[in-house]
Amino acid sequence: MAVASIAHGSAHGDGADQLYVETRELRLQGFLLFLVSDCVLFSSFIFAYLYLRNSGQGWPPPGIKRLDVAFAAWNSVLLFGSGATMHYALENWKHGNFMKYMWMLIFTIILGAGFLGGQAYEYTHLIVAEHVSWWGSGIFGASFFTLTGMHGFHVFVGVCYLTVLLLQSAAGVYTGQKYFGITAGTLYWHFVDVIWVVLFSIFYLI
Amino acid sequence: MSIESAQMTHAGGIAGHIHPEPQGFVRRYVFSIDHKIIGIQYIITAFVFFMLSGLLAETIRTQLLNANGGFVSPETYNEVYSVHGSAMVWLVVIPLLTGGFGNLIFPLQIGARDVAFPWLNMLSFWIFPVAGLMLFSSFLMGAPTAGWTEYPPVSLQGSAGTSMWAAAIFLVGVSSTLTGINFVVTLVKMRAPGMTFTRMPLFCWGQFATAPLLMIATTALAAALAALFMERVFGVPFYDPTKGGSPVLWQHMFWFYSHPAVYIMILPAFGIISEVLPTFARKPIFGYKLIAFSSMAIALAGFMVWAHHMFTSGLAPYLQLPFMILTFAIGIPTGIKIFSWTATLWGGKIHLTSAMLFAIGFIALFTCGGITGIFLAAVPYDLDVHGTYFVVAHFHYVLVGGSLMGVFAGMYYWFPKMSGRLLNETLGKIHFWLFFIGFNGTFLPMHWLGIEGMPRWVATYDPQFEFWNRFASVSSYVMGIGILVFFVNVLWSIRAGKKSGPNPWNGRTLEWMIPSPPHYYNFKNIPTVYGLPYDFSHPLPYTGLEEELTDAPPALAAGAH
Ligand SMILES: [Cu+2]
Repeated sequence: MAVASIAHGSAHGDGADQLYVETRELRLQGFLLFLVSDCVLFSSFIFAYLYLRNSGQGWPPPGIKRLDVAFAAWNSVLLFGSGATMHYALENWKHGNFMKYMWMLIFTIILGAGFLGGQAYEYTHLIVAEHVSWWGSGIFGASFFTLTGMHGFHVFVGVCYLTVLLLQSAAGVYTGQKYFGITAGTLYWHFVDVIWVVLFSIFYLI
Repeated sequence: MSIESAQMTHAGGIAGHIHPEPQGFVRRYVFSIDHKIIGIQYIITAFVFFMLSGLLAETIRTQLLNANGGFVSPETYNEVYSVHGSAMVWLVVIPLLTGGFGNLIFPLQIGARDVAFPWLNMLSFWIFPVAGLMLFSSFLMGAPTAGWTEYPPVSLQGSAGTSMWAAAIFLVGVSSTLTGINFVVTLVKMRAPGMTFTRMPLFCWGQFATAPLLMIATTALAAALAALFMERVFGVPFYDPTKGGSPVLWQHMFWFYSHPAVYIMILPAFGIISEVLPTFARKPIFGYKLIAFSSMAIALAGFMVWAHHMFTSGLAPYLQLPFMILTFAIGIPTGIKIFSWTATLWGGKIHLTSAMLFAIGFIALFTCGGITGIFLAAVPYDLDVHGTYFVVAHFHYVLVGGSLMGVFAGMYYWFPKMSGRLLNETLGKIHFWLFFIGFNGTFLPMHWLGIEGMPRWVATYDPQFEFWNRFASVSSYVMGIGILVFFVNVLWSIRAGKKSGPNPWNGRTLEWMIPSPPHYYNFKNIPTVYGLPYDFSHPLPYTGLEEELTDAPPALAAGAH
């Protein structure tokens, strides 16, 4: 057999499945490590926020009102709810309930977009009514808008990704065995959820 | 080949899977996904940046020939040493040791066909030259002037090049993080059958300890750089004390990365030394497990000592003590390694090749740098010499005498594997002696210059220090000539060097079992591993390598076409 014939092809058979299983494991591990380093990115900014917050000028700094917990709490419910629907989406996929999976995915996208809308409303309110800005309100504005903005960006990326996932699923890209894209999306979405738990606690509760 | 034999060797999967050979110059050598080509790309690019930052270093030394300077303006001098330091750390030493030698060698040593994510690997590489060009282009808009550490508030006041610097280092960081993820997954998932963790060559252990640091510590630096960039460009306050920010916050975030970064720059060099020493002493490495596990201990402890750089930054006294003691404690695993390497040489049949000279030089110089590190970890001593040339002497002993000597040892050792030709040994020895003598002449006097109180970062200095500064400058030219000899050697040997054959050093790790340079698929059959590679009196602990040096085609996955 000549070297030149060593190539990909559709006729892989069992060998191809073994290959898929192994590359899926690699991708899963690589993706988890990506989430770890992303988590370090958030942790570093959270450290910076807590460090500045405790640098002795009181919190919130003079002239700035406390953040509105009630609104943010309702908004959080949207995001946590989307975590639940995403979980059921993956479960339904694994059990072969295609339509339920699609509906759960659609709910997740709607709830995620709703959370972003809430965040946009909150930002507008802060900037217009309370005159708090990213660069003009000292370390309060800097840390709040940077961290929640980073998180919001992650949610935005997630909503886009899940929309692509929805279209791909409708087009039949994924099968009963080969659905790494869905697993990765679910992991990412839960990661974004967990980060929000931390951010909500340190900005609104303490 | 019969179907039965194919089925016996492989049940499919990655090991049995060979991608088609890339065709055309661009796919093979420019946008390559082959870890060996990418490793060589890293090495070439990093050596180009090494030439540039070497020129900056000689500019520094030329300025310091006279007590009142006069070679460049003080402002230019600040830019020159800031870019020299940044480039040496992020564009030379880290890429050479991780992306360069890491990519080139460890997948071969674990018996893999490539890294886990070849396309990501290509992306990691291509970010690197772009970031390097950005860093050097900062000279056009006023380069950063606050040293490689870029402490605020000076870095907040610097010209536009400082923002460029932050963006460039951020990008190198992204490249490092991706490389780290790639290497961890490769080392965990893609070792050949039988290659347990405690059978891995020590160079692989060096990479295995480094990769998580690349992945985790670099991200912390990314956050610090992003905040600096936002503050400089959008005026978002993090570090400016007049707006409630804190310059000390930068120091915490910067050193939380940069202390582990010194291990990113030394652990792979430890790995190189641990391969070169047993090969040329013809003797098993002493204390294999101790060397392997002490690398992991160093990597882990590296996250808990960052504030030893901040003893003069108003760190609370109750925090100084634990940071001092923990830093002392890192001397223990490091000392274990020095002991093991020395014991490896003891009673060995030593071949003083160029690679071996650099490895032995490494032990000597790194030990000096390590000992001054213990000095500096002691709070009272650090308060005295912080910001003096003593610190400059210390970190050049570990980074040049340590990391770069390791790089050169690796170049002489693995050049045959890259090119199929040996580097010239005579030129290699001239390179070593010029470099070794020049290095000590340059940096040894800095110890007493520092103790006598000569400050860092100044373009002019007290005339009482002039003699030793001139001595250091002249020595630095000797070192520079040594490096030129090395470049001449590489350029000459790559065309006219002696053909090396697959295993010129009688090495025992897997990369020496295959042709030089290896096929794009590395191994025809993935070997099975039965033991450590270092037992020189025993037969090789591998099976399945019979066809590697023959003309036989590679084995195929069952059910292939
Ligand atoms: Cu340190």
